[in-house]
Amino acid sequence: MASYATKVKRDIARWREAGLIDAPTASALSLDVERNGGGRVSFGSVLSMMAAALFAAAILIFIAANWEAIPRLVRVSMLFATIAAGYLGGAVLKLRGEDAFGQGAWIVAAAAFGASIALIGQMYHMSGDEKQAIFVWGAGTALAAAMLRSGPLNVGAVLLGAVWMLMHGFDHWWSMRELPYAYLLVAVLLYALTFWARSVTSRHLIFLSLILFGFLHYWRDESLATPLVMALLSAGLLAFGEWRPAQAGRWLALGSGLPVHALLGFLTGIGIIQIALVDEQAFLVPSIAAFAGIIAALLLAGQENRMLRWLAYAAFAFQLCFVYMVMLGSMLGTAGFFVLGGLVLSVLAWLITRLERRFAARPLEGMRP
Amino acid sequence: MSDRRRLLVIAAAVALLQIALLVSMIAGRAAILRNGEEVTLSVMPVDPRDLLRGDYVVLGYNISSVPTDLFAERPEGTESGERRTVFVRLKEGNGGIWEPMAARYEERLEPVPGGGEVDIRGTASAVWFDNTTSVSIDYGIERFYVPEGEGRAIEADMRQRQFRMKVAVASDGTAQIKSFHDEEKMLYSEPLF
Repeated sequence: MASYATKVKRDIARWREAGLIDAPTASALSLDVERNGGGRVSFGSVLSMMAAALFAAAILIFIAANWEAIPRLVRVSMLFATIAAGYLGGAVLKLRGEDAFGQGAWIVAAAAFGASIALIGQMYHMSGDEKQAIFVWGAGTALAAAMLRSGPLNVGAVLLGAVWMLMHGFDHWWSMRELPYAYLLVAVLLYALTFWARSVTSRHLIFLSLILFGFLHYWRDESLATPLVMALLSAGLLAFGEWRPAQAGRWLALGSGLPVHALLGFLTGIGIIQIALVDEQAFLVPSIAAFAGIIAALLLAGQENRMLRWLAYAAFAFQLCFVYMVMLGSMLGTAGFFVLGGLVLSVLAWLITRLERRFAARPLEGMRP
Repeated sequence: MSDRRRLLVIAAAVALLQIALLVSMIAGRAAILRNGEEVTLSVMPVDPRDLLRGDYVVLGYNISSVPTDLFAERPEGTESGERRTVFVRLKEGNGGIWEPMAARYEERLEPVPGGGEVDIRGTASAVWFDNTTSVSIDYGIERFYVPEGEGRAIEADMRQRQFRMKVAVASDGTAQIKSFHDEEKMLYSEPLF
């Protein structure tokens, strides 16, 4: 991903110098690559994020230890100093061109903010307010992400939002009686923030969390309406991405991740329906839909999308085994099934190679009418 | 203002906003300790726990379970009162321990509490079934944080002797632990900050 983005940006600079494109076009193109291509993931920034995560965990655990050798007012002051030093120091580092370290410092500051909330809860022996505490932490982190235009802080806010959503289940031993619909609003707001903070990672995480939300919603209600809506929305998402690529690029900006999320959401929804109907005749209906969905996704978006192809192949193999186990199940049947499976896969392989050859032969502008 | 200056100013603003929020949380709690009405409750241990915030003892109080006949009305709705706000009126009883005398879902009790009475706010933690005789209520004071490793010892002592908790209650009903007593001896007293 990174190498692709770097390469395209180098090409854009070259075109700009050669006078092939003008400056506004060049910067618009660079921005688009940054938005859709995953951007500046480098080994150094990954390591600095891991270091920041370690510092953050150290701060949180230190507070949890409730060490009496340091008076609590001193502990509060230390955390406040860490918050101030983290945000300001991060800004200084960013201005010196050390973007990765600057972002790391901001993450540490956001962790110190969360640790302060925990420490205040500890100081005043508060109980039963954990969800609210996580929410305040996430909201503060989102605010920092918005003001500083920071992608990593945006990711932090998304993760805290998802934890907040999940915590409603912990209350009652995973009975999931309470699931906050407000999370949908939180997800929309955080999604809007990703465009400002230029965080593709956040966008992917929000989509994954929404799939999780759908799953938990079914767990709570046990109504098949939820997975059905999930599957339909996902199919719609895939169609939207294929037939309105410009709008999908502008409004969702997930790049090649869009069909992957769509297929994952579709398979989750269909999978729930399959498991719910496992002992009934109607089991065949969602199973056929699953195969149809996998093949449709492959044909529509599989050509330029390696990740989608892998997901589709894996899901296909899984579905074959799953459907077999439900429908048949004897030893002889197993042998027969493997022969059948082998035949089907051979036909499929032949079909895929034919299709891929055709895709490759077809000129690119013909792809999207 | 140059871009350099602007980023520094924004970073400082983020830090100040977050710190201001934290200070307001501390000030709110300190205000309850300073101005809240003081009630004394008898307390028993439920069990010691260990979580990200540290070691704490889970506590139960003499007001954690309120008999249903003290309630003004039975709650309506699907969850039958679970996770609903509850106001409980307390009055000093025998031996200086405050006891519940009336309770109501969602709304403040009427008339306003008289002398020697305090209204405390909690959350019902269980459903009101047809055969329910008492409702479990959390007041947000069910934990006592102790230094790492001391949880078990305090819990063992609490099983032997009678412990008391002095609790400050704000005018809106929010409760805040004030001091922890082993019979007549004070074990911990919360400073304002």
